[in-house]
Amino acid sequence: MATEQHADRVSPALELRGLIKDFSTGLRGLKLRAVDRLDLRVEAGQVYGLLGPNGSGKSTTIKMILGLLAPTAGHCEVFGVASTCVEARREVGYLPESPYFYRYLTGRELVRFYAELGGLHGKALAERVAEVIATVGLTAAADRRIETYSKGMLQRIGLAQAIVHHPRLLILDEPTAGVDPVGAAAITELILSLKAQGKTVLITSHLLGQIEDICDRVAILDRGRLMLEGAVRELVGRADRQALLVPTLPAAELQELRAWLESRGHTLEMVAAPKARLDQIFLDCVGKKK
Amino acid sequence: MKSKGLTLLLAIVSLVVAGAGLGKFVEPVWRATREAEPALRLDSAAAAAGQGVTLALLGGFRALVADASWVRMYVAWEARDLPATETLLGLVTTLDPRPVYFWLNSARIMAYDFPAWRIETAGGFTAVSPAIQAKFKQQQGEAALQQIDRAMRYHPLSADLWVERANIQLNQLKDLAGAAESYRRAWQQPRAPYFAARLHGELLRRAGRSAEALAWLVKLHPELPTNDEGAGGPVVLGRIRDLERELAVPANNRYQPAR
Amino acid sequence: MMTRVTFSLRRTRLIAFNTVREAARQKLYGFVGVLAAAFVLGARSLRDFNFGAPELKFLADCGFGVMAFFGAALVITATAQLFFSEIENRTVLTLLAKPVWRAEFILGKFIGLAFVAGVFCTVVTLLLIQVLASREAQLLRDFPEASGLGAFVSYSNVIFAGVLQWLKLAVLAAFTLLVASFAQTQLFTVVTGFFILVIGHLQYLAQDAYARGGSWLGRGMSGLIATAFPNFQLFALADGLNVGEALPWWHVARVALYALGYIGVACGLAVVSFRQREI
Repeated sequence: MATEQHADRVSPALELRGLIKDFSTGLRGLKLRAVDRLDLRVEAGQVYGLLGPNGSGKSTTIKMILGLLAPTAGHCEVFGVASTCVEARREVGYLPESPYFYRYLTGRELVRFYAELGGLHGKALAERVAEVIATVGLTAAADRRIETYSKGMLQRIGLAQAIVHHPRLLILDEPTAGVDPVGAAAITELILSLKAQGKTVLITSHLLGQIEDICDRVAILDRGRLMLEGAVRELVGRADRQALLVPTLPAAELQELRAWLESRGHTLEMVAAPKARLDQIFLDCVGKKK
Repeated sequence: MKSKGLTLLLAIVSLVVAGAGLGKFVEPVWRATREAEPALRLDSAAAAAGQGVTLALLGGFRALVADASWVRMYVAWEARDLPATETLLGLVTTLDPRPVYFWLNSARIMAYDFPAWRIETAGGFTAVSPAIQAKFKQQQGEAALQQIDRAMRYHPLSADLWVERANIQLNQLKDLAGAAESYRRAWQQPRAPYFAARLHGELLRRAGRSAEALAWLVKLHPELPTNDEGAGGPVVLGRIRDLERELAVPANNRYQPAR
Repeated sequence: MMTRVTFSLRRTRLIAFNTVREAARQKLYGFVGVLAAAFVLGARSLRDFNFGAPELKFLADCGFGVMAFFGAALVITATAQLFFSEIENRTVLTLLAKPVWRAEFILGKFIGLAFVAGVFCTVVTLLLIQVLASREAQLLRDFPEASGLGAFVSYSNVIFAGVLQWLKLAVLAAFTLLVASFAQTQLFTVVTGFFILVIGHLQYLAQDAYARGGSWLGRGMSGLIATAFPNFQLFALADGLNVGEALPWWHVARVALYALGYIGVACGLAVVSFRQREI
């Protein structure tokens, strides 16, 4: 037991080494390389963003992590266990892009089904199902059939099934795709609360602003290759520059300030009015009322 | 690619090996099933003219197609269409030989209706000479007996088939000895009607074999149950007395029933 | 190191239950069931063209025909649809992203489908028994002299026929599932499923062709068909209703084991094939 705990402590949540995936195109021996020698390491407790344009290999990488696709070459491990083993999936919760769950089930039946598959049963099962449904804010709609759910509700019930069996690693493929800003903000909050609980989250999204807000680290893929990887703060921040925010200055005072800076050997490079983020304005108008 | 090829090979080998073993295991059942199902024998199935055979080969539909063909046969029968009726009778009994009903009724139609239709087609009962009429009856009667012989391959213990055979021999072929023998064979089958035994004796008498008839009835009488009216014990005893008188059997040699 | 996740009957049962639930909540399958029931009940109208014991035979033949036809259609379409709905709706992604063996998925699907086929056969058999029994009672009232001959219908044979039909449908489901495990489209699976149904019924002809000999190619092909495909004609052996010719129980038992053998092999191969499938 002690050895197991030790192994888990030293193993990263996710480790990809030289991962390659080729798809046969059906033409004589021609292969399409979807993922090309990918190396990634996601430490436990991080929120990690996997970015890239369409066809960059994000979904293929996720499918290999989930054991749904076998790598052509390389290794993929989840908490030190090869992703091709069923055991690796015990610690993983997955929300696919555009989830179409069993339409004929109610939200509660769906979460219960996945919870049981995840190994929950007995009293703990019912309690946990109710708890995660409440966590994603669907208690009122839990006994409605999924076919009546909106896109945002589908994403939330998808999140509920992904977290219901207490996984340590969550893989969220475009969790806010097609969801309105209010719903997207709710999902973002949920991801942050999961992070606060110590969960590791691997997230793909086209909404770079959202990724920037919540991710600790990001990797950018293009045509299956890793183009850039690093901490968000390091990538977007500029250590040799500062922005000062003051109430709008009259032209004369601004000129004085410029002169004062120049007298000390500095240059005022830019004067601009800061912009509020539109999504924040939207949330202030709509979200708060809700 | 290589792995897909290997999987395909594994699938074929597994299915062939398992199929060979399972086929051997189930062979006795299959042999018995096939024995009872002429539709499952290629030759007879191919010989059965008409549509429906291909469909009928499909398991559960065989009996249903036979039933439907039987209904169609009635339509042809009402139209007095001999070739169509004959073809459909063959098809029905080939597809589903299990019901004795099909065999009995097909033999009756062949023995009684077909000669009448042929006579009508040839000009009617008044126009066609008695010799030709008799020839038609003879030909169709023999065809009906062949049908019953075929039926007996599937229903060797059917008293009804032997009774029908006797009826046709008696009524259409005027073959008293043959009919008497068929009634006797009918009596030997399980659940045979009592009248078959009585008619055997009666036909022996009509054929001039009164002594044989008397011996038969004397042997038969003690076997008849007394509590069953249908068994006709008193009728048989009366016939015995008639024959004893006819044959002038001395009083002390006459049959004495035990009860 | 994590503890091993072993094959779980519990998860298999869950997937089977979900398959049944999905089938039960789809109107199409309910419609097929109602249609089949209507045919069995409607068969009574056929009595106009006959009377006596043969009429009961017609009723039974109609019932078995309905079971064979609608049962095969139900099993092939349900297998293809319930399998491919998981792939096309991507529910299989979330399902297999849980600690679930692919073998559990395939076996769960098969058990669910076999259960659906079982419910169908049970309903049709019970309806058929009800129709036969009520008509038999009516006939015995109308023709009391026939009562001395005993019962017209062998109800044990009707039940055997229902059981054998179910076994045939289960074998068909297993083979259709095997095709679905590697097929790319639902249409291909449905068409191939019907081919298997037809080949299974004509398999004995391949046996004959193999026994007759001929060219090595012909013999090879016929031998392959004769062994690789199940003989579906075996499953119609209880369709006769001749009283006094009760089906030997060991015939049914052997055919049942034969069916189980083919189900085992087909499901096993489906698991092997599905494990290699990239989802």
